[in-house]
Amino acid sequence: MDNKEQKLEDKIEQQVERWDLFARIIPTAFLVVCSILIFTGILDFQQAFWAGLGLFAVTAVTWWFWTIYTIKHLVRTLHRASKNLAEVRREFRDVSKDLEDLRKKNNES
Amino acid sequence: MNHKKFIIIKAVTSIISGLSMTTLIILGITYLGFTNAFVFNNAGIAVTNNPVNNGQINFILEGSRKHECTLTRVYSDAYNNATGDKFELDFARKIYIRSNDYLGSDTGAVDHQWAMPVPDDMPPGVYEVKLYSEFDCVYLLFRQHKSQMFDNISLIIE
Repeated sequence: MDNKEQKLEDKIEQQVERWDLFARIIPTAFLVVCSILIFTGILDFQQAFWAGLGLFAVTAVTWWFWTIYTIKHLVRTLHRASKNLAEVRREFRDVSKDLEDLRKKNNES
Repeated sequence: MNHKKFIIIKAVTSIISGLSMTTLIILGITYLGFTNAFVFNNAGIAVTNNPVNNGQINFILEGSRKHECTLTRVYSDAYNNATGDKFELDFARKIYIRSNDYLGSDTGAVDHQWAMPVPDDMPPGVYEVKLYSEFDCVYLLFRQHKSQMFDNISLIIE
C-alpha cells in the first residue's frame, strides 16, 4: 500500500470518528439548546421544528454523499487487495510447479 | 483515561443521544399531528328548526374535539340560493340552548346548540349558511392558530 493510499484511509477513519462524535453530541445539544430557547421565549416550537428539520436534511444529504464516496474508495481497495491476492496465489502455483519439476528431475537422474 | 472508563463514557453518550433522538422524533411527529388536526372531528352543523318561522334560527353542532382550542373569532353568512344575496348572522346576539360552552376549550364529545335571530332584512327563501371560526389551540408545548369552516348548512326561512 502506498503512502497516499494510507493517508486516505487514515482520513476516512478520522471522518468516521467525527461522524460518531457528531451523532453522540448533536441530538442532545439540539434538544437542550432548543428547550432553553423555547422556554425563554426566544424561539417558538414551529421555528425550532423547521430548524431541526433543516439540520436533519443537511446532515442526511452530507452523510449520503460521504457514504457514496467512502464506498467507492472501499470497493477500489477491496478490488486492489483481491487482485494482489490472486497474483500471490499464481506465484505460489508457479513456485510449486517449479519445485515439482525439480523433484522429478532429481528422481530421474 | 483508561479503556474501561472510555467504554463507559461511550455507552452513556450513546444512550443519551438515542434518548434525545427519540424525544426529537416523537416531538416532531406529535407536532405534525397537532398542526394538521382539525379543531372538530367528525363534526357537522345543522339548523334544527327548519323551516324557520319564529324569527330565531336554532343550530346544533355535533362532533368531537381532541385538543384544547379557544375561539378567537367566529362569523357566519347565509347565501340565498335563488338570488345569491348574502346576509350576515349576528353572533353578538346568539343565545345558548343546550350548552354554555359552545366554542370553549373542552375536549371530548361536542354537542352544542345555540340560536341566533333572523336578520331583519332577510326575506323568506332557501339559504345556504357558511360558518367560519378561528381558534388558538394548545397541546402540550405546542400552540397553533387554526380555522375551520362549515358550509352547506341548509336554512329555510318562512
